[in-house]
Formats: sequence, C-alpha cells, structure tokens
Amino acid sequence: MKGFNTIAIHSGAGKRDPHGTLRMPVYDTVAFEFENARAIQLAFEMKAPAHSYSRISNPTVEFFEERIRSLTGARGVIAVSSGMAAISNIILALAETGTNIITTRYVFGNTYSLFEHTLKPWGLEVRYLDLREYEALEGTIDEKTRAIFLETITNPQLQVIDVDKIAQIAAKFQVPVILDGTVTTPYLFRAKDHGVAVEVISSTKFISGGATAVGGLIIDTGNQNWQFCPRLKEAARKYGPYALIMHLRREVYRNLGACLSPHNAYLQTLGLETLGLRIEKSCQNALTVAMFLKSRPEVGEVNYPGLEDSPYHEVAKRQFGGRFGGILTFTLKDQAACFQFIDRLTLIKRSTNINDNKTLIIHPASTIFCEYTEEEKKALGVPANMLRVSVGIEDVEDLIEDLKRGFGTP
Amino acid sequence: MIIYLNGEEKSVPQNGLTVLELLSQVGVNSPETVSVQVNGQFVEKDVYGHTILKDGDEVDFLYFMGGG
Repeated sequence: MKGFNTIAIHSGAGKRDPHGTLRMPVYDTVAFEFENARAIQLAFEMKAPAHSYSRISNPTVEFFEERIRSLTGARGVIAVSSGMAAISNIILALAETGTNIITTRYVFGNTYSLFEHTLKPWGLEVRYLDLREYEALEGTIDEKTRAIFLETITNPQLQVIDVDKIAQIAAKFQVPVILDGTVTTPYLFRAKDHGVAVEVISSTKFISGGATAVGGLIIDTGNQNWQFCPRLKEAARKYGPYALIMHLRREVYRNLGACLSPHNAYLQTLGLETLGLRIEKSCQNALTVAMFLKSRPEVGEVNYPGLEDSPYHEVAKRQFGGRFGGILTFTLKDQAACFQFIDRLTLIKRSTNINDNKTLIIHPASTIFCEYTEEEKKALGVPANMLRVSVGIEDVEDLIEDLKRGFGTP
Repeated sequence: MIIYLNGEEKSVPQNGLTVLELLSQVGVNSPETVSVQVNGQFVEKDVYGHTILKDGDEVDFLYFMGGG
C-alpha cells in the first residue's frame, strides 16, 4: 500500500477480529482480564502485547494510533484527548523549569495562553520570535533551549514558515522542532520529510470527519536523536530511538491522564478514511471563496496562502503541494461591519471550530482573543475588523450565495 | 539453538531464525507494534526480516500497545 487514501482505509488490521468485522469495534471498557499473575506482570513491563487499563492503552485507540503511524511513517504515535493535550504533553515531556522554548506569537490563542499563562509560572521561559528571521533564531537558541514550536499555517494569521529552514537550524543545535500540523494534516504536509521531530495535531478538526469528536495526536517522526535532549537522556539509554514514546507512555502521558476515549478513537478512525477527499474539496472551495471575497468592494484585505499575492504563496505551494488549506481571513470596515456580516448569513455557521465539513465563521478579536488587551491583539495579528472563515465541503455556489447575503446584496 | 527472550530461556528449532520469524513464532501478528532489542541494541523495524539470531542471543521485546 502506497497511496494515502488506501492506507487510511486499509491499514492497521493486523489483529484478526473473532467475528471478522470490517471495522474496529469500540472497546468501551476500562480494564482487561489476565490468565495469571505472570501475564499481568509482563503486560505492566510492556513485554507482552496486552492492554491493562484504558487510560494507558485501549484496542480501539491503538487501532487509530497504528493507522496514523502507517500514514506518517512515524516512529510512534500517541493519541490523546485533544490537540491542547498533545501540546501540553510534549512540552512537559521535553522541557522543565529553567529551560526555554522558542516560538512565535502567531500561534493558536489557547496555545499562546498555555505558554504565557500556564507554563510560564512553572518556570518555563518562552522566547517569541518572527520565525522568518533565521539569523535571529540561530542567535536565540542556547544550551537551555528544549524545543522550537511552530504551526504549518498559523491560525488566524495564516502565516506559513519555511519548515525546512527552521529544521536545518534546529538540527545544528540538536534541538527538536515541534510542529502543529492541525490545519494541514499528513495529507498536505508530511512532517517526517521536512526534519520535524514531533508533529502534534488536533484531530478534532480535519481528521474527525465533521466535528464529531475531540482528540489529539503526538507523532514522533523518528528524525530526532533523543540522547541529545537532556530530559530524555536516561530514556534514550534504555529505549534508544523509542525514548520519547516510552517517556510519554511510562510517565508524562500516563500521569497526566489525557487519554483519548475509545468512542472518540472510533469516530476519528472513521473520519480518517475520507480525510483526503474532504481536504481536497475544502482547499478548492477556500480558493474560490478567497477569489470571490477579493472581488468585493466592501472587503479590505483577503488573507489566504492560495492567493498569488500572499507573501506566503510560494513557500505554501512548495510545502503543501499546491493546496493551501481551508482557512482564510478577510477584513471589513470595522467590528460593527463584521458583526452585521456574520448576522446576515443563513448557511454558514457562527462557530469557533475549524476544518469542519460545514463552513464556519467567527470574529476572532471578540471571541478566541477576547481575554487579550488591544495591544496584545495587535501584536498577535488579530485586528478588530477581521473575520475568519473555515471553508467546508459544501457546493461552493451555495457558499458564494450566502456570502453575498452577508454583504447585504442578492 | 537457545536464545533468551525477555530474560527467559527459549529453545528455537532452527538456525538462521530471523527476528521477524521469531515474532511470528511467538504469535505477534503486528510486528510494527513491537520494538526489538538484540543483545541490548535496538533493531530497526524494516530489518526484522534480515536480522538473523544466533545461539545465546538476548532478545527483548517491548510492546507499546498502539502506534509504536
């Protein structure tokens, strides 16, 4: 099997189901029984292929993890309860008090909040840079740097960074690159081929197949030699290339308890099967919508990497194979005009999610970023006159009709 | 020949047994979910089929139960 869609549908069926089911069932159970005391000991030592407790592993969750591993060619995958759980797990696995991570302010609002408000008080220094300034990045890395964190397409600024260049710089210092690939998924961007150490994904979005379930993924691409990461030295000595996965499974992930429920794993496995088809349609629709918005006199700026005048068009085209994701932003006169536009819509949903099958719209400044001051919003690239649209997979003519309604025109 | 699998002595009938064949013999249907060490060295999954075990080898399996 080589094709993405084929692997997404057929991989991970190594264990024969007693009834020959074509779909992995939902193992909705907490614990598992063992034949004897030695068997349970071996399971706890991870020397026997057995599940013991669903906070640590579960057959339905394992099936989803294995399918993602097959799709990404990764060293290992751990499915967690949300995208934010994936980010918090990986940062807590690699960093500690007195160390630092390097990132950009242009990250998802809750990720920024995690860094600024949750992790900073625990003594983690977060160094914010414009990650397009490569010399500055090189000068900012020091012996206390534990990771460089970035997103494939930032949300909602839609900035696209050259991941290869970041990875090349990080490799000089043996610092792992953590990439949030939520809005691209392995269908548009294969992180393993671009020097990324760990990909984190909110599988709630594109993967879940229509906003069916919250979930997240931690993907060890296999690119990083973990013996150079201070937190993982001991794990690297014991587990070699599996150091990160074992450090998570036997400590951080196990102890934080942010496991994916079997029900959600089932729904996400189902969604994964049609991921490629849905992303293709979403990307096509987003480009059409972006071009329509650009033609409207009421619109100030349209920000979409698929537009040729986007400063990120060339790098996005190279990295994502000529598809540019399903999210765009545009500006109107002011916040009042944005609210009026949103309230006139009848098909497009007023909702905070992204990469649903349905097209969604939100005013980021008054919602996701409502806790921030005007100055902070400016620094975060979230002006009051900006709307974000997550373009779904409907017939695009119906979306255009609804957007015309938003402008108050037939 | 004799090998030591997860610390326990195990008699295997043939010489030239590969890691992949050993996994099959012990009933592991999804070798991609197991990491294998031979004499303390991790073996990459894509060479399980070419890694031949010798008499006295210490073989350790670790099962991650999901995605590696």
